[in-house]
Amino acid sequence: MASLTLKDVGKKFGKTAALSGVDLHVEDGEFCVLLGPSGCGKSTLLNVIAGLVPQDKGIIELDGHSIDRLAPRDRDVAMVFQSYALYPHMTVAKNLGFGLRMRGVPKATIRKKVLDTASLLGIDGLLNRKPRELSGGQRQRVAMGRALTRRPKLFLLDEPLSNLDARLRSNVRLELKQLHTRLKTTIVYVTHDQVEAMTLGEKVVVMRDGEVRQTGRPETIYSFPADTFVATFIGSPEMNLYRGMILHNGEHPVFQGRGFHMDMGDLQLNPVDGEVDLGFRPEDVKIVEAGAETLPVKVEMISDVGSEKYIHTQIGREHLTLRAPKDASFRPGEIINLTIDLTRLHIFKGGVRMD
Amino acid sequence: MSREQIEHTIIRVLRIVGILFFVLMVAFPFYWMIASSLRPLEEILMNPANLGLDFRKIDLSAYYNVLFDHGFVRYILNSLYVSIITVALSVALATVGGYAVTRLRFRGQSFMSYSILIIYMFPAIVLVIPLYVIFSHMGLRDSVNVLILVYLAQTLPVALYMLRSYFKTLPLEIENAGLIDGCTRFGVIWRIIIPLSAPALASVGLYTFMIAWNEFLFAFMFLDTPDKFTLSRGVVQLAGSVHLSKQLVMAASVLVTLPILFLFLFFERYLARGMTSGAMKG
Repeated sequence: MASLTLKDVGKKFGKTAALSGVDLHVEDGEFCVLLGPSGCGKSTLLNVIAGLVPQDKGIIELDGHSIDRLAPRDRDVAMVFQSYALYPHMTVAKNLGFGLRMRGVPKATIRKKVLDTASLLGIDGLLNRKPRELSGGQRQRVAMGRALTRRPKLFLLDEPLSNLDARLRSNVRLELKQLHTRLKTTIVYVTHDQVEAMTLGEKVVVMRDGEVRQTGRPETIYSFPADTFVATFIGSPEMNLYRGMILHNGEHPVFQGRGFHMDMGDLQLNPVDGEVDLGFRPEDVKIVEAGAETLPVKVEMISDVGSEKYIHTQIGREHLTLRAPKDASFRPGEIINLTIDLTRLHIFKGGVRMD
Repeated sequence: MSREQIEHTIIRVLRIVGILFFVLMVAFPFYWMIASSLRPLEEILMNPANLGLDFRKIDLSAYYNVLFDHGFVRYILNSLYVSIITVALSVALATVGGYAVTRLRFRGQSFMSYSILIIYMFPAIVLVIPLYVIFSHMGLRDSVNVLILVYLAQTLPVALYMLRSYFKTLPLEIENAGLIDGCTRFGVIWRIIIPLSAPALASVGLYTFMIAWNEFLFAFMFLDTPDKFTLSRGVVQLAGSVHLSKQLVMAASVLVTLPILFLFLFFERYLARGMTSGAMKG
């Protein structure tokens, strides 16, 4: 186990910057998730940490010691690949023990450790099979087992669940979480799936265009997104976000959006010049009886996801989505009245969060 | 009959005719060669147009003759030596070379990668005269080792090209897994790339062996001493000798052909693809 520190790591492929100025600290035993859309540099970052891709600048430290000059095999890290990358010509047992064998560990020890790992993951019955004789879920376990057998300082997981079907994925996600609680290993986990990031991560790092946009606990990132990208990338359905001005003419500040305005009540706001982005999440809108301060809107479409309903409406010339309980019975065309939880408003100036 | 049935019948007939045609083209000369080599000399002389082979009168003396009286044991050993060394060197060099141009980044990598085949654009006949002159001057000419050098130059481009194409199909992630699990670059080649490329290596080996085993032009030009003759050179020597006996030439030809045939039948199962299935998702 070890802590991992990255300082100002940069990498260019030709003229495009895959990573620029990435700083990151992962505590000993922490589960850190790198989250971002495809092409944001998260997999490159993982390869840089593993030593498969050399960085152009910056320092990588494991337990306070620089590992920049070490070959991948000397870094004492293990990696689980998206495609699993099992050795097709070796049995499961050989796959699991390969890393130990390369390090000259005695055969008896290897056998014992392979058995331990296999029973930990419930694949003891498959040890003599070849990868092509396994199902997708079994291959995924073997891939994880191969990383586990060696007990390295650091685990790197590159979208390990993305090739599983939805049901299996949520099961394995839970197991992974339990495994981490049990083994307390330091993990860097790459995904583009925000549900994985939020459920697994103790620390979530949101990346875009090779830069870290926000680092924090999942609930912090959800409740206090640092910029409009993080705000819209995290959360489903995504946050309602409107461009407009905040006016301080009357007794309350008022947000003037495209074709609508919103009284901001007693919210204490410093005057802001120019345009801002105002956001609130679909669950922070409530449907209420008509009243003086409610916002009447027309229901346009309803998406029923079973556990709840998403109601799509129009506010001024902008789109608004809100969450409604599963028993809500509205019809398209119906007028409903909304109130917005003003304490949960997010205001961004130039794309960056204001407090 | 419906239109569909008629079409099916026509296709079936055409297929049988086609297969028969090619089988005859290939098998008849082969059969004729074997049959002639096994018939007693008098019978060939008396009845040269007879295509049948009388199993009661099979005569192996031609083989004995060719092997022991005409030095073919020596020629076989020479051919084996040249072919095996050529295969070993060609496969070894093509593996590291093919890996380098597929995976490693270095100056001129893509030029190297694509210019490999240019050398193959020169027909052997264009090269043989200058090489003859050069090797004569260097005093290297009458030697089987020089043949190995020439055969390597001939087979390496294609071997490299074949392996390069195959290596490109191997998933990079498996190699990365190997590097992280504790292999060096050579470890990755040895423990992962080579086992996974067994079918491709078998084809390259077979191809190289056939070229080296069958090659005639350079062997004819470069070798003067009968002790150093390879098989194909030996057959021509035999065919050109004064007491021409068709039976002997045929027996010698069979000796040239059979090893290739068995080699091919033996390696055929290794040529099958699908070694990497199961490494990846799906």
